[in-house]
Amino acid sequence: MPQGEYLLEVRSEEIPARMLEPGVKELASRVFEELMARGIGPREVETGFTPRRLVMILSGLPEREPDREEQVMGPPVRAAFAADGAPTPALLGFAKRTGLEPDQLARVKTDKGEYLAATRKIEGRPTREVLGEIVPRVLGGISWAKTMRWGSGEGPWVRPVHGIVSLLDGEVVPFGLFGIAAGDETEGHPTLSPQPFRVADADDYRRRLAERHVEVRPAERRRVLHETMRQRAEALGGTLVEDPALLDKLTAICEIPGVMEGRFGDAFLELPAEVLSTSLRDHQSALTVAAPNGNGDLLPYFLTVMDRPDDPVGRARSGNEWVVAARLADARFFHGEDRKAGLGHRAEQLSRLAFHERLGSYAAKTERLVALSAFLCDQLGWGAEKPKAAEAARLLKVDLATEMVKEFTSLQGIVGGIYAREEGHPEEVWQAVYDQYLPASADDSIPRGRVGQVTGLADRMDTMVGMFGLGLIPTGSKDPFGLRRAAQGAVRIALEGGLPLDFEAVAAEAARLYGDKLTRSAEKILDDLRPFLYDRIRYILGLEGFAYDEIEAGLAVGVSNLPDLRARVDALHKVREEAAFLSVVLAAKRIANIVKDAAEQPLDESLFAEPAEKDLAAAFEGLRAEVEEAAAAGDYERCLRRIADLAPVLDRFFVEVLVMAEDENVRRNRISLLQAIGRTASRTAKLSEVVVDKAEARAKAG
Amino acid sequence: MQTFQELILKLSEFWAREGCVLQQPLDLEVGAGTMHPDTFLRVLGPEPWRVAYVQPSRRPADGRYGDNPFRLGKHHQFQVILKPSPLDVQRLYIRSLEAIGLDLTKHDLRFEEDNWEAPTLGAWGVGWQVMLDGMEITQFTYFQQAGGLELKPISAEITYGLERLTMFLSLSQSIYEIEWVEGIPYGQVRKQEEYELSRYYFELADVTFLQSQFDGWEGEAKRCLEAGLVLPAYECALKCSHSFNVLDARGAVSVTERVGLMKRVRDLAVGCAKAYVESREKQGFPLLQGEAREALEVANAAG
Repeated sequence: MPQGEYLLEVRSEEIPARMLEPGVKELASRVFEELMARGIGPREVETGFTPRRLVMILSGLPEREPDREEQVMGPPVRAAFAADGAPTPALLGFAKRTGLEPDQLARVKTDKGEYLAATRKIEGRPTREVLGEIVPRVLGGISWAKTMRWGSGEGPWVRPVHGIVSLLDGEVVPFGLFGIAAGDETEGHPTLSPQPFRVADADDYRRRLAERHVEVRPAERRRVLHETMRQRAEALGGTLVEDPALLDKLTAICEIPGVMEGRFGDAFLELPAEVLSTSLRDHQSALTVAAPNGNGDLLPYFLTVMDRPDDPVGRARSGNEWVVAARLADARFFHGEDRKAGLGHRAEQLSRLAFHERLGSYAAKTERLVALSAFLCDQLGWGAEKPKAAEAARLLKVDLATEMVKEFTSLQGIVGGIYAREEGHPEEVWQAVYDQYLPASADDSIPRGRVGQVTGLADRMDTMVGMFGLGLIPTGSKDPFGLRRAAQGAVRIALEGGLPLDFEAVAAEAARLYGDKLTRSAEKILDDLRPFLYDRIRYILGLEGFAYDEIEAGLAVGVSNLPDLRARVDALHKVREEAAFLSVVLAAKRIANIVKDAAEQPLDESLFAEPAEKDLAAAFEGLRAEVEEAAAAGDYERCLRRIADLAPVLDRFFVEVLVMAEDENVRRNRISLLQAIGRTASRTAKLSEVVVDKAEARAKAG
Repeated sequence: MQTFQELILKLSEFWAREGCVLQQPLDLEVGAGTMHPDTFLRVLGPEPWRVAYVQPSRRPADGRYGDNPFRLGKHHQFQVILKPSPLDVQRLYIRSLEAIGLDLTKHDLRFEEDNWEAPTLGAWGVGWQVMLDGMEITQFTYFQQAGGLELKPISAEITYGLERLTMFLSLSQSIYEIEWVEGIPYGQVRKQEEYELSRYYFELADVTFLQSQFDGWEGEAKRCLEAGLVLPAYECALKCSHSFNVLDARGAVSVTERVGLMKRVRDLAVGCAKAYVESREKQGFPLLQGEAREALEVANAAG
């Protein structure tokens, strides 16, 4: 028998798929932490789950906590002895309580003076006892996403608890949870092997469950499901359309990883592949099989899970096929109705579809999108795209009125794109509609073409400005209109599409297009929108690998457009490690401290007195034009390197010149010189925001 | 092949043996078996309760003129309430499936998360949709709150969709093809009704009249509550709820109105729930037994 092995299995009614993994992880990590804190951490921790079981196996547990010594503080020394040196009652009392002789007590110095102290040996408790105390407490405290009560009010927990196996080296570690006593008995699959049985240890547990086809390791169930599905798809002459998130869900709704293969009528292949796979995924949790032609066509099969190893009378298959046929018949009906009506007819219905009760209908939104897309094209100088952008903007929201999107909301945009393609709209137009919600997540790319980028951006800016214009600004975790995602999408489209747009001008135009609908002025909206967008910009540039201070330095001088911001941050990122640049950064910090709020004045060369300041002024004058020119050309690396050329003269200036001269005019003139330098440097970034490693700075100074 | 009425008979017999009061359908239009007072009101308060009944359930907006093989404006639910929920309630449910003739060693049975919420009743619960061979055959819910009141003890609600279950068992391609009794298809019993009800709810129902009905029944419910008559008050609230559903199917409820009307129904339901618990308390919670009864008597004696 292995030493120090603890097996825990909690059986309950079916735990929701989405809560299983977080639940078992929390259980294991909290038990582990508690054991570590007591010096009895296990060598290994293994977890597992099925919808009906949480499993944790600890191995290599010590037999008991280490013994330890604890210092117990007694009275202060000055209160422990009488004037004649005899022990006071306080001392004697303390000695008696700790079971020591007065001369066995130690003296300990503390902030409050010297104290008597006793060292007590505490015997470590057996691990069994500790487990019996920790495990029920941790189990009861798991923070489930949603809890319930049952029976006469038991709970709260995720679902009613039915049984607990709690065995340390084969012996029950007793405890109770919601009236259920821990023991050594469990059950197999509820319909295939419901008879209870006892287990001796973890190996025995695994073996007996395996005999009953129950697999408690989710990774293994997932592997089996995936492997089997791929083989089945291949045997059907196609390839499995991968869907990792769905596979995770299937893994979490079975104890036995059985694969159910079904077929649907060939006639349903007339439906767009996106509709087929969404219907199969959303309604039947089924994966699809791609045809070998590689055009995204599907074969008329689907694969899902069944919580059993086989389908002895074919009922699992016929049941699933029955439901799929009914669902696809629905989808075909919607597709037919939509095609009969056409997008033009659906567009008329947008006036009855509210975008927001105070912001009007989707018809009104469509009018704004047409205008805002045109504005964006003008700003970008994309005259050629303008008519197509207008056409796409007009179609953008039409699919919200289709039967198909009412049924499959996750297909909004995609359905409109497919219908626009079927109705013969140009490629850039239907793709713009199809791609309008991209990027929806970090893995998504932005819309494929310029038309899609313009309309996608217009849509998001319109939504953000509208909501901010009513004061509906996301706070904390509350973001009912998905504005963070909208902002993130807008930022990514501008950055990755390389669109040199002035966000503030776009937002002002978006606000103007709302007419009198908004309750707040464009200025007020911008005051809130600017930091909101800056947060997304920080996040996205951070993901691209830029350091926090590089991004802050770039943002601190304002943002005319996002590609320009990125070019500036990128230049800073590239030159920041160069020695001369480090000098300039240190100087910039000094300058920032000195000039603070002083008003800038024109330079007066006649007031320069010291050679070092004359040199600085001359050197600065010599490169100023080139820096401005490089900045105008977007060559920010050259800007920064030219500024860095000032390093030696700047260093000398700070050594030899006292900026805070007695004479006010001289002082003001010196400050103005520094301000002019700072302003030129900030064509790229606010250099004083760059964080300098202290050791590096000292080395430089030394 | 299992007929519609065999299913009703077998489920009734099974749950009657489990000690359920075999109740009859509520003789008012309701959207679900949950709205029957023997569910909505009886799950409140401390008294134990077990009941089973068929409830014709009307959802006017789901009507399809008898054309759609899968959708009905009026369907039948077999409703079971077990209060408090016994620890073996899932096993009982599985046995009920065996009682209607299913050999579960040959099927795939799964419980997938599906929580239930009825805003107009101030009620919610936690549970599953039960999937048999990939087909949803039952809603299984542990009620947590009803009429805005926290529940203790907790009731388990099992709702079988009778038409769907019969269809699934026979893999019929249309609701109207299932047999009500041998030789008489469901369509012969109900199709004309589906057609005529759809026409009425979607085309004919008088909006002004329905709005006045809603207002009128709301007033009646309040008068009943003031007079301490909980059960009639609740019936009036149900009539409001049905008027609302018909108005909705008629397309006469805007998004903003919808929120307001639902709140008015909810307020009535919450008022009835509170008054019902008070009324049962006044009667000394007559169904309380055993330890709970003794505890109540001790508390009363002390109070």
